[in-house]
Amino acid sequence: MFPSLPHTFRKHKLNADVRTLLQLRRAMDKGLVNTLGDIYLTLKALVTNDPKEFGPFTAAFYEYFLEVEIKNGETLESALVRSETFQEWKKNLMDEEDDGKLPDIKELVDRFLDEVHISTYDIQKIIDANEILSKDDPNQVDSANADTDPGQPNKLDKMVDYRNISMEELKRRMEAVAKQQKGKHNGGSHWIGSGGVSPYGNNGAAPGGIRVGGGGGGKMARKVVNDRRFYPADAKAMLKDDNIDAALAVLKGIEDESAEVILDIETTITEGLKQGGIFLPYEKEKVNNKIQVILMIDNGGMSMTPYIRAVQKLFAKMKTRFSHDLKTYYYHNTIYNGAYKDVRRTQFVPIEKIAAENKNYSLFVIGDADMAPYELGRTSIESWEVLTKKYKRIAWLNPMAEKYWYSSDTIPVLKRVMSMYPLTPEGIEKAVAKMNQKRRYSRK
Amino acid sequence: MADTSMWTGSDKYLCDAELAQAFHMSRVLGMPLLMEGEPGTGKTELPIQFAKDNSIDLFVYPVGSKSTVEQFVAKFDHVKYLRDSQIEVLNAQRDEKGLAKKLSTGGRSTENLNDYVMMGPGAKAFSMPNSVLLIDEIDKAPREFPNDLLYALSHRKFILPESGKEISISEEDMPAIVITSNREQELPTAFKGRCIYHYISFPSPEMMLQIVHKHYPSADAEIVQKAIQLFYQVRHLGLERAPSTRELLNWLKYVNTFSKDKALEKLIKMDGMGVLIKTQADMKILERNKAQLKI
Repeated sequence: MFPSLPHTFRKHKLNADVRTLLQLRRAMDKGLVNTLGDIYLTLKALVTNDPKEFGPFTAAFYEYFLEVEIKNGETLESALVRSETFQEWKKNLMDEEDDGKLPDIKELVDRFLDEVHISTYDIQKIIDANEILSKDDPNQVDSANADTDPGQPNKLDKMVDYRNISMEELKRRMEAVAKQQKGKHNGGSHWIGSGGVSPYGNNGAAPGGIRVGGGGGGKMARKVVNDRRFYPADAKAMLKDDNIDAALAVLKGIEDESAEVILDIETTITEGLKQGGIFLPYEKEKVNNKIQVILMIDNGGMSMTPYIRAVQKLFAKMKTRFSHDLKTYYYHNTIYNGAYKDVRRTQFVPIEKIAAENKNYSLFVIGDADMAPYELGRTSIESWEVLTKKYKRIAWLNPMAEKYWYSSDTIPVLKRVMSMYPLTPEGIEKAVAKMNQKRRYSRK
Repeated sequence: MADTSMWTGSDKYLCDAELAQAFHMSRVLGMPLLMEGEPGTGKTELPIQFAKDNSIDLFVYPVGSKSTVEQFVAKFDHVKYLRDSQIEVLNAQRDEKGLAKKLSTGGRSTENLNDYVMMGPGAKAFSMPNSVLLIDEIDKAPREFPNDLLYALSHRKFILPESGKEISISEEDMPAIVITSNREQELPTAFKGRCIYHYISFPSPEMMLQIVHKHYPSADAEIVQKAIQLFYQVRHLGLERAPSTRELLNWLKYVNTFSKDKALEKLIKMDGMGVLIKTQADMKILERNKAQLKI
């Protein structure tokens, strides 16, 4: 079923594969999926892992199941109105409507979305409401329930309870839809309107009747398309104010606090001897490794200016959120036997001093590493090597786009000295992952 | 067989459609529900109220920065074990000396390793069919913690290495597992893949009215209406820590301790804003914008 679904979803940069299909299938077998709205919710719970994926997910869902393609920056409404699925649905609705009059377009879109997103939960609510109504004395007008209008119970008759349809029948229909996806346009609309899968037929939620789709699936869908909060911040974009939080989340990875309790051998032995050979084990808490960072920033050339602020903000944010040691040094292009303590580069700190910290420090070098070849002499490379030798957790973060690295004379040279990553949330994540590996290794 | 009917909330808890469905799905599929969302939107309350409403046993594991999978599953009490074996030696020595009084091991026997296993909430929930298990604030855990849980979650089985004891549960009897996170740390992809994901979106004013009603059914409608109106305006000021449902409920609790006239006066004067506003900087923003807020 839906063999091409993972493909469409992956196109929207979502994690979907064969397992997604299997899980969806299991959900269907368990009777969780009765309407298209259920599919939306089920897939959403299975596929998305982050509110930032809701936007792409909704777009992918509409593309796959309804053949509504939401263009970049387009609202769901306008994409819908443009789509053939919607037009066809509207035509069917017009045919059924006796007087041929239709509500305005906004109301129509609302109705369409209600039909798409109605879920088992909504149907259950309606049925529950219906039961309450039928238990009531029909002659008594209940003013508190005015908006559910007990005078028109026939509205409810129009609703088909899809929970009574056999699973086989439902699957058959779904497969038919899936097959038609390959065809031209009539695929998606079969779910709704004339295809009859819509749980409450074409006459839908009449004004004054019970409002269906109250779960707000349609509202949510409308909200997430286009809302930047629900679109992923580009992990490949260079670090700027927008994605600084994404980078921060990644940086937390190096915090690697361990909380093991270990046997205090020394106390156990001393105390055991005192007790005449009866050894009672004493435990002690393993000392937590607090995050310690050295930052070396190239603040020389114009090329670096845009990034310095973002980088400093990133690490300053870290500092306020976690108490830890942060040491910052500045240099221009590359280092010669040391770097500077202040932004204006007047207070020189010799390399031995920089390398005198605890070896557990994580060292980030930030710079474009691009300079005239003669600048990167032997002394300079040896200076870097002092640092790489001392600090195993070291990485170079380069704000220059990765594709230009090999056209530079000096980047490949420095890349051999230490691992280099682009200054993007993704690059930082990689650097941190590598650092953690190193750390685990050196522990053994 | 677990109760797999849809739970849509109780008289104390309002479950919106999406949450109800996600929770239902997680129970039917036997997958944990991973809930994220702003602090104070009722993530932790869901399993608590669900367990209460259905009178089911609830096991809670509050995660902290020092959490380990041993605490969650089961810990082998080495100290007691060693102590008891030493006591056995001592007892033998006392026997030789002809002393009648024996030292007690409290009914435990070193022969039976299971006597020294201290079960954590995870193991307890897995040995009790159809219970509810809450793993609260998993994002506070050390990085290894979620990964260490993976095996248990996908195989529904814990193995206690020291005693070799195995605790497993069938898919039908699987406890309803709810995991909450405040996104302070990214969870591993493999872990997320095994969960049903739900993000609690912030309630709309209409929904908030219903929530308030669930908590304070007798509260005065006018006060509640005004408080909610003010609350959403404050939320839109662009504060560093926007107040959440929890703060609103606390605030109403405070305001409600007064008579109606006094309470309205408190609202207008914005007394007790310390409940809503949590930082000095935010307080300043509020002061600056006080004139624009409409009550």
